[in-house]
Amino acid sequence: MIRRTAAGLFLHDLKNRGLSAWTLSLLLIGFYGILYFGQYYWTPDSPCTDNASCYSEGAVCEAGACIRESRIERGQDWLYRTATVHIDELGWKIGASMDAATRPDGTLVRDENKNGVIDNWEHFGNRWTVYGMLYTLGILLGGAWVCFKYRHNRYQIVRTGVVMMVQTSFAFSLPILLKFFHKPEYYFSYMWPLKIDYLDPKNFAYYGEGLVLWGFFASLAVVPVMTLLYGKRWYCSWVCGCGGLANTFGEPWRHLSNKSSNAWRFERVAIYTVMGVAFLSTALWFASAVLPDSSSLHAAAAGTRKWYGLVVTASLSGAVGTGLYPIGGTRVWCRNFCPMAAFLGIIQKLGRFRIRVKKEMCISCGLCSKYCEMGIDVRSYAQAGLSFTRAACVGCGMCAEVCPRGVLRLENGAKVDPQELSLVSFLDESWKGASSSVAAKI
Amino acid sequence: MKIVIVGNGVAGVTCAMTARQRDPHAEITIVGGETDYFFSRTALMYSYMDRMSRRDLEPYERKAYAEQRIALLRDWVIDHHAEAKTVHLSSGATLSYDKLVLALGATPNRFGWDGINDVKDGLVHFVSMQDLDACERLTPTTREAIVVGGGLIGIELVESLLYHGVKVTFLIREPYYWPLALGREEGDIVTEQLRAHGVDVRYMEEMKRIEVDSVGRVSGVLTNKGETIPCQMLGICVGVRPSIDRLKAFTDPPQLGRGVVVDETLQTSFPDVFACGDCAEIQPIEGRSYTEMIWYSAKRQGRHVAANLFGDQLRYAPPIFFNSSKFFEVEYTTVGEVMALPEGTPTLFRKHPTKPLCQRILHNGDRVLGFNMLGSRWNHEILERWIRERRSPAWVVAHLADAQFDVEFGRANLAACIQRELPLAKEL
Ligand SMILES: Cc1cc2nc3c(=O)[nH]c(=O)nc-3n(C[C@H](O)[C@H](O)[C@H](O)COP(=O)(O)OP(=O)(O)OC[C@H]3O[C@@H](n4cnc5c(N)ncnc54)[C@H](O)[C@@H]3O)c2cc1C
Ligand code: SF4
Ligand code: SF4
Repeated sequence: MIRRTAAGLFLHDLKNRGLSAWTLSLLLIGFYGILYFGQYYWTPDSPCTDNASCYSEGAVCEAGACIRESRIERGQDWLYRTATVHIDELGWKIGASMDAATRPDGTLVRDENKNGVIDNWEHFGNRWTVYGMLYTLGILLGGAWVCFKYRHNRYQIVRTGVVMMVQTSFAFSLPILLKFFHKPEYYFSYMWPLKIDYLDPKNFAYYGEGLVLWGFFASLAVVPVMTLLYGKRWYCSWVCGCGGLANTFGEPWRHLSNKSSNAWRFERVAIYTVMGVAFLSTALWFASAVLPDSSSLHAAAAGTRKWYGLVVTASLSGAVGTGLYPIGGTRVWCRNFCPMAAFLGIIQKLGRFRIRVKKEMCISCGLCSKYCEMGIDVRSYAQAGLSFTRAACVGCGMCAEVCPRGVLRLENGAKVDPQELSLVSFLDESWKGASSSVAAKI
Repeated sequence: MKIVIVGNGVAGVTCAMTARQRDPHAEITIVGGETDYFFSRTALMYSYMDRMSRRDLEPYERKAYAEQRIALLRDWVIDHHAEAKTVHLSSGATLSYDKLVLALGATPNRFGWDGINDVKDGLVHFVSMQDLDACERLTPTTREAIVVGGGLIGIELVESLLYHGVKVTFLIREPYYWPLALGREEGDIVTEQLRAHGVDVRYMEEMKRIEVDSVGRVSGVLTNKGETIPCQMLGICVGVRPSIDRLKAFTDPPQLGRGVVVDETLQTSFPDVFACGDCAEIQPIEGRSYTEMIWYSAKRQGRHVAANLFGDQLRYAPPIFFNSSKFFEVEYTTVGEVMALPEGTPTLFRKHPTKPLCQRILHNGDRVLGFNMLGSRWNHEILERWIRERRSPAWVVAHLADAQFDVEFGRANLAACIQRELPLAKEL
């Protein structure tokens, strides 16, 4: 029953797909639309020259200066000007004022793009700076709230603290500093296949061999080893910015994830499809880089870069992933589309992480399922007394937090409890457990 | 085989699912009068507190019943003919059965307080879905409420009312909270919680008379201390009893006592009729009869009956008792005999100097008998094993940390707890 106060009614509306939730969702999607697609409103007059970072945020040309200037000169498109340009302007101003602070004469200098060398802060200012700041702010404010709300739960405090730290350092400040020191913009908190261009040979020259080697090492050694030891949670709810935002700013909507077995079926088809596409795209890019010159291969590589950027990075992770928070819950992207989550999930199934279920103590209240952001029907395992490891579980620990009977615990046990069955078959398993335990007792 | 199950609570539904596992061909029908689908009664408060929708209370997806070929009928069973092996529904329909399972659950107690017959509105229980409907209907017009009865359901109702900004007076007949299961020290911790949340808790205070206003809605309660406390809602949570009232009107009722009397195979006085869950009163060959009115037992008995429907003749013997609960933020786990042990039973009582955190370990000098743990999470499977293994109290205290079940990084600090000897005292 809804609390009958103004605040109660509003919060219920906001958290339960009411009018305010839909409005917020539309605003967020609009924001992402402008952010990612604003510039596609026109095709550039002249081809973009700064290819190095063209794909670093998906199929988005970051330099964008050529497009920006021509738009402004022609005074076209109010949407473009008021939104994209102004966001860019704002970012540029932030960059420039930081630049000014570091210059002895205090002058603002803009567009000093000398022979492709990035001069100090010049490249810093654009809409991505603004976006990064908003994103970081979302994680910090949301994180502070989460730490307060779950102040009795050390796991939540430690985890949220780490996510906030990683976001402000590796995912925000460090890339800016790198640029300041004329180094490539590199986010150490992201790795292939989430940041798919880190293993794209096209970018190797830009990143330099050190970072490329790190990229391989991170994706092919650090990720599997850490995941075998601790489950995918070490990444998905301790490091990753997408998960970070979901678990902080997204806290009010975590319960909206769909728990039905149909949603689970969709998840499995969707996420492994995206993972397959990501793997094949990478393979294609390597092929086009090492195989003897073939223009059709190059064209295919360019095409996949563009479409992967547009569909997966911009639409699914950005607009759908975050824009749908108030409607579909916080982990729509992580659950259904993220190739990294799929990759980590498979390794998690083989590793030590599991959710331990105390036998017979569950009262089937369903709070655990309700507040699982990944849409896992935790109750179905708990009431059957089965410890489990689901590929999707990001180890946020919220099922254990909300359980009023303390039935659940996240563990890195030595024993593996694999569980990837349909609803009906795990009902089946619970019966097997049930009848054999009755028989055993008597 | 035609199996008819009366009652779609946890006992009935667990029985049906287990029976389906056993026999893919049986014809299984569940008749339940309260709701269309099985829901978790234990989570009523979370729906009242807007943490879950009603639909969220359903432990199984609705299509699971069709997939398992379990037919659901929303109806009340009002009669039974043993000879013809039929039950009759309030809609007029008749169902014939080969095996009948009674999983009727429990009904809230009501005593003959003065003025109760004048009450037309404002009096609620907190057991059924209809009770929740009534609570939700009354809450918006309620500023003050009184909850009578210091047990688990009472405190859940108190917490729910507080959520809605209602001022609550909690009348408890006993000298402290829930002496049936808690020692005085644990009870005091719960009292502190209640008071910290603004509840006016009154011990040793009972309801004498219910006052109503001109339209018959509850307007206040006169207590045995002579005070009249105003209220617009009166929650009565003074325990539950097996739901056997309808059975008394049956043409052929099974033998009834406090509940539906069953033997150790959970069979009633009729050979093909079984009972399980809250409504079953188990009469062992030797010893006193007992009812087990908790969720875990209902589930266990449901599974047990399912086995015996197929002629297994298994004898029901409950394992070492365990239960858990949560009083506001304070979690509670109990294992073994605790307050049922004789007065003066040696007890190690450990309490944190400042936090609501304590452990009570009962023993008989050389082995542990039971645990009452408040304020942190415990693995009851391990505590239970220690009782079975007859571990000594000293050994248990030394290994206590092994049974902790707190979240990672959040292990409760047992070392800070101060331990003392405290023989079990009973104030009931
Ligand atoms: C608010 C609350 C909180 C609780 N919390 C806990 C807890 O934390 N832990 C715990 O262990 N236990 C708890 N319990 C107790 C637990 O819910 C019960 O022990 C359990 O639900 C019993 O299950 P059952 O299947 O025997 O009966 P029920 O769940 O009561 O189901 C019986 C069903 O049969 C129906 N029925 C009865 N007669 C007929 C008829 N003639 N025809 C058709 N249908 C009929 C009833 O309407 C009812 O729907 C709680 C109970 C309540 C009310
Ligand atoms: S199962 Fe639990 S830990 Fe895993 S994602 Fe869901 S709520 Fe988080
Ligand atoms: S929250 Fe706990 S008690 Fe409730 S269904 Fe989940 S595991 Fe069971």
